[in-house]
Amino acid sequence: MDRVCVCVLPMSSLRPNYPLYIRSTPTENELKFHYMVHTSLDVVDEKISAMGKALVDQRELYLGLLYPTEDYKVYGYVTNSKVKFVMVVDSSNTALRDNEIRSMFRKLHNSYTDVMCNPFYNPGDRIQSRAFDNMVTSMMIQVC
Amino acid sequence: MSRQANRGTESKKMSSELFTLTYGALVTQLCKDYENDEDVNKQLDRMGYNIGVRLIEDFLARSNVGRCHDFRETADVIAKVAFKMYLGITPSITNWSPAGDEFSLILENNPLVDFVELPDNHSSLIYSNLLCGVLRGALEMVQMAVEAKFVQDTLKGDGVTEIRMRFLRRIEDNLPAGEE
Repeated sequence: MDRVCVCVLPMSSLRPNYPLYIRSTPTENELKFHYMVHTSLDVVDEKISAMGKALVDQRELYLGLLYPTEDYKVYGYVTNSKVKFVMVVDSSNTALRDNEIRSMFRKLHNSYTDVMCNPFYNPGDRIQSRAFDNMVTSMMIQVC
Repeated sequence: MSRQANRGTESKKMSSELFTLTYGALVTQLCKDYENDEDVNKQLDRMGYNIGVRLIEDFLARSNVGRCHDFRETADVIAKVAFKMYLGITPSITNWSPAGDEFSLILENNPLVDFVELPDNHSSLIYSNLLCGVLRGALEMVQMAVEAKFVQDTLKGDGVTEIRMRFLRRIEDNLPAGEE
């Protein structure tokens, strides 16, 4: 059973890098995923500061493979508003190609934008939108 | 005269996102101010009424429709002309009562509620209640007292949004009703 985990983190000054949304399938080993996401944040920050004054376009929002471990691959994506999306997938899942990961991040970004547009959602809250959940579920089913 | 010509020829395009977000901000601010869904619904209806009594003049100037002879004509004009002009959608008209004084407007998509998900603590909030007020206010200015209410709402899980309109009576005196 392939494992995958998706996480959204904001860059708010109150609670920086506190995940707004984290979901993994299957749900055991969730703590391990939390830990991996947390350690990968350092790599994300490093890449962001390395980008510096470069022109930010779609391709540079996608950070690519952050680091591979023996079991998992971690991918990152950051928006102009410094919201980070992190995805962890099984290393054995070689069928996933780069542009598939890119399109998954684009879908995540679009759904995140829809969540932000909900007037009842306050930025910084945990994401509890059903539409977002459904989108992540369908994405995870596609991957596994 | 020039105002009429202006209105007929140019229709300013505006982003619907800004409109949806503005309405959303309005509703959430009302929720914070009143803390009680019923009060918010009443306020939205009252605000809609105030918009409706003014909007009807703009509508009549722009659309050049003549007097409606019966309620069915009114329903057609509301769905095919008014909704199209102001919200860009054309609801369908169904469920006429046998007496011909009640009908339903079915909206498949409602631009006011793009991206909106009602949280659980606002389950009795009628989010688009402004529309009911607008319909009520506008029709009152053309001497028709009606009642408009939502019977189905996509925000609450129904497949479509349905507004039930009921004709109450013709208003005989020409004094405009005061704002409530």
